[in-house]
Amino acid sequence: MLEHVYLIALIPLAASLVILFGFKENPRSRAPYLGIAAMLWCFLQSCAVFHRVAASALPLSYEANMEWFRLPVQIAGKAFALPLQLGVLIDGPAALMLCVVTLVSLMVQIYSLGYMHGDPRLRRYYAFLSFFTASMLGLVVSSDLLVTFMCWELVGVSSYLLIGFWFEKPGPAYASKKAFITTKLGDCGLYVALLLLFTKTGTFQISALRESVAHGYLAGAAATAVALGMLLGCIGKSAQWPLFIWLPDAMEGPTPVSALIHAATMVAAGIYLVARTYFIYLASPVALETAAWIGLITAFLAATMAIVAYDIKRVLAFSTISQLGFMMCALGAGGYAAGLFHLTTHAFFKSLLFLGAGSVIHAVHTNDMRRMGGLSKKMPITFVTMVLATLAIAGVPPFAGYFSKELILKAVYQHSPAMFFLLAAAALLTAFYMTRLIMLTFLGAPREEELHQHAHESPASMTGPMMLLASLAVVSGMALAHAGFIERLLPLSAAAPAEELAAREFPEWLGAGVSVLGALSIVLGFLLYRGPAFETAKALKRRFSGLFELLENRYGFDAFFLRLVEAADALSRFCFWFDSQVVDRVFVDGWGLLTLIWAEAAQLVDSRLIDRTVDGFGLLSLDLGGGLRALVRDGQVQEYLMYVAIVVSLFAALLLMR
Amino acid sequence: MTLSSCLLLSGALFLIGIFGALTRRNVIGILMGIELMFNAANLNLAAFNHFLHPGGVAGQCLALFIIAIAAAEVVVGLALVLAINRNADTVYVEEFNLLKG
Repeated sequence: MLEHVYLIALIPLAASLVILFGFKENPRSRAPYLGIAAMLWCFLQSCAVFHRVAASALPLSYEANMEWFRLPVQIAGKAFALPLQLGVLIDGPAALMLCVVTLVSLMVQIYSLGYMHGDPRLRRYYAFLSFFTASMLGLVVSSDLLVTFMCWELVGVSSYLLIGFWFEKPGPAYASKKAFITTKLGDCGLYVALLLLFTKTGTFQISALRESVAHGYLAGAAATAVALGMLLGCIGKSAQWPLFIWLPDAMEGPTPVSALIHAATMVAAGIYLVARTYFIYLASPVALETAAWIGLITAFLAATMAIVAYDIKRVLAFSTISQLGFMMCALGAGGYAAGLFHLTTHAFFKSLLFLGAGSVIHAVHTNDMRRMGGLSKKMPITFVTMVLATLAIAGVPPFAGYFSKELILKAVYQHSPAMFFLLAAAALLTAFYMTRLIMLTFLGAPREEELHQHAHESPASMTGPMMLLASLAVVSGMALAHAGFIERLLPLSAAAPAEELAAREFPEWLGAGVSVLGALSIVLGFLLYRGPAFETAKALKRRFSGLFELLENRYGFDAFFLRLVEAADALSRFCFWFDSQVVDRVFVDGWGLLTLIWAEAAQLVDSRLIDRTVDGFGLLSLDLGGGLRALVRDGQVQEYLMYVAIVVSLFAALLLMR
Repeated sequence: MTLSSCLLLSGALFLIGIFGALTRRNVIGILMGIELMFNAANLNLAAFNHFLHPGGVAGQCLALFIIAIAAAEVVVGLALVLAINRNADTVYVEEFNLLKG
């Protein structure tokens, strides 16, 4: 099984190509079943791979490469051909990610059968879904950072295609563009980092890079530069502060796609890349600290923004940003296993939350939570699964989120207590806004009778995946954390910060306190948003309208980036004006005019002065000849002879006088 | 007798010849002037040969050739004179303007 692990990435790719070129566009197309079958195969194979990796006593690391091409380079004037590899590297994180990605993708594809039922571009949708998953799986298994980068960009392209799936509407078209360009901004950093990495070590291969770092070939400022550049790419991809602006807008895509983006294929890529190249970060404490702080800021800011959003999907989007901040912070603080563990559990409950939100939107045809309310009786399965996911994300024991979040908080506390308190506050906010979401959507009295009347439970193809994911959201944390399994599966590659980690003991009461406070914030959310019109919350909003406005404007980051874009636009307009008016007019046209004038002048001098002079000499000799001839009487031989004699004697006189 | 006296004699002879060729109206006179110039040249050749290469004969040979050529030339010249005389019924050169261009 492990020998053919490359199939996991190639089968969805083949499926997407077959769907794209082998099927006709048709709302009743059978293309979805091909995509689902391919994904099922990948899921089963991933499970087998995971079993192999998990069953091995030592942390297993399987690597297989084939030479792709040789890159001719010149080092110190000598020509070398550095081989670039195409291969797979399977270790603990990769096996875990394979399972998560294939499972979520499988669930999303099955769910889409119901959600996208009757869409006129079903074939296109499934082709893109498969392609998206294939790119992500390629990123997960690749043993070479260059291939990883290619897959990384393919993930970006697929997300662009899927966010803008309903491209005939202006919103999705704008959102897809925004997502693509914003993530590209981060990718610039990643690209530069990869170039720097290659110039420093001469290889893109992860295992070789690990050895280079271990031998100290990449250290100090170079390691920091590489790590920070990569971090910039991850900030863009994983929607961290300050590049998180694209993720809330990405909600314009179909909801299952949002689930895929948020749980498995897009934003996970950034965290995964940090984990994959963690040894480089370990060589640079500055980069680790930066990652921790960026994660912390993101976790806190996004959580506060989620409190005021009324669009059900946007609340979830801010929640994702916040949770990704948790993971980034954990990785930065040295909690390698904690970050990846949270990535896994988060994938389960966040995809479930999105699928649930999709189910709600499917039922009431609106995203606005103010128009929902009281849906729990109409949609019992959706309600129960969403509540389970909410408990999981809020960190209530013994649900999945509790285990991973506690690991993260522990790691962060050991790194710095100040960061711990801010992060704990973000965790409490998480519990609060998720309670708010449940209250507004499912509980209380229906606020719009007509929408409520038409609401109905979703078909089995949608509820089935939700139930499966709900069971995982409940048990996955417990199962993975059982007997330290996750730490054994995800061993820290280097022991560098281990001593530092052991320095500070995490007090038990702190963890319990966070749990109690989390429960309290759930109660608070329950109290504030009780009743059909949630009067208490509205009064609070009136009281602190300034703060709410700031939060609703997302701290002005969108406006800031918009102004940045406008400034760039104005600058390019000015450059265009300068080019067309100043450079073209003054320099190009002016130079031409000058040449013209010069040429006219030269022509004048040529025709008047030089030509006339030449003509004048001709005329002069003509006149001279004519005048001389007139002197001579015609036909007199003796006269000719006399002239000859005179001239000869003149010459003779000249010769003699010399 | 020295080289310079010989050269003076031949120069005088040449000038007399050219004076005759330029001033005579009669074609026969012009031809005679030309003959005098020939002979001045011959005298030069013989004198240079005698004084500068006493043992050599190249100058005298050349002079002999020139005498022969001068005789041939006179034959041609007299034939031209006769032809002109027959056509124009005159021997005075100012009345010949056939060469006028």
